[in-house]
Amino acid sequence: MTRNNDISTPQGYFQDLEKRLQAIPSREVKPTVIQRVSPWLAYAASLALLVAVGNFVFSRATAQEQEADWDYISYLTRSLDPDGQVELDEYTLSEEDIRCFLIADNIPVELIEHLSHEEDD
Amino acid sequence: MQASLEQVFNAIVREYSERLWWHVRRMVGSHEDTDDLLQEIFLKIWTALPSFRGEAQYYTWVWRIATNETLNWLRRERVRAALRFSSAEEQAVQRIEGDPYFNGTAAQRELAKAVARLPEKQRQVFVMRWWDELPYEEISAITGTSVGALKASYHLAQEKVKLNLSDAEVSK
Repeated sequence: MTRNNDISTPQGYFQDLEKRLQAIPSREVKPTVIQRVSPWLAYAASLALLVAVGNFVFSRATAQEQEADWDYISYLTRSLDPDGQVELDEYTLSEEDIRCFLIADNIPVELIEHLSHEEDD
Repeated sequence: MQASLEQVFNAIVREYSERLWWHVRRMVGSHEDTDDLLQEIFLKIWTALPSFRGEAQYYTWVWRIATNETLNWLRRERVRAALRFSSAEEQAVQRIEGDPYFNGTAAQRELAKAVARLPEKQRQVFVMRWWDELPYEEISAITGTSVGALKASYHLAQEKVKLNLSDAEVSK
């Protein structure tokens, strides 16, 4: 250190420096408030993001499903009733229809007549 | 495990603190800044000690942290000086002129000022060769620069120091 004779240090400086440096491991490095809460903030932000994305996707899917349901109902309505009116009378069976159906099913005509009269009575 | 790390750290402090202090003191130019920076350097060494894998020797590893931290400090100083509409070199020269711990000759003060005007990397090589008296091979291991490049850098630094000294002579 012969070339370093132009700079001095306070008395006992290097002994004091050594002590201060060796105290570094025992120094409790307290984390700041930000450092303490930042993992929780990150967790909360991730959760909020997940909920927001999930909500967005779910609401989109539900809206699409509802739209599809209404489209299908509308389609069925239009197919069944092009004029917008369902005429139930067309689908009502007459007594004659029932008689024909029973005859086709090999029910004896006498029995059909007998039952028909009983109903009338 | 913790106790053995502390023992290693204490040994590093005992072995290197004074030598590193002189290196940082030459680079920074002020007693107080050196004291603060050395605390930062050893805090960094303590923090990084568990991850020390032994690929390098403690000597090289410790010196590398110290030189990197010192260069970072000088870069921050450059920004601080720019914010005060000044240059880092001029600030360093002013620190040397007003240094209460400087008790050398006028020529030694001029040399310190001439070195303070060097670019950071050249200053680092000059300080490590001239004052720290480290061999090129060791500087190479610490800085990761080839011996050839270090010799060229030191030669350039010497030339600039000579020029700065002759300028100072003329301006008297």
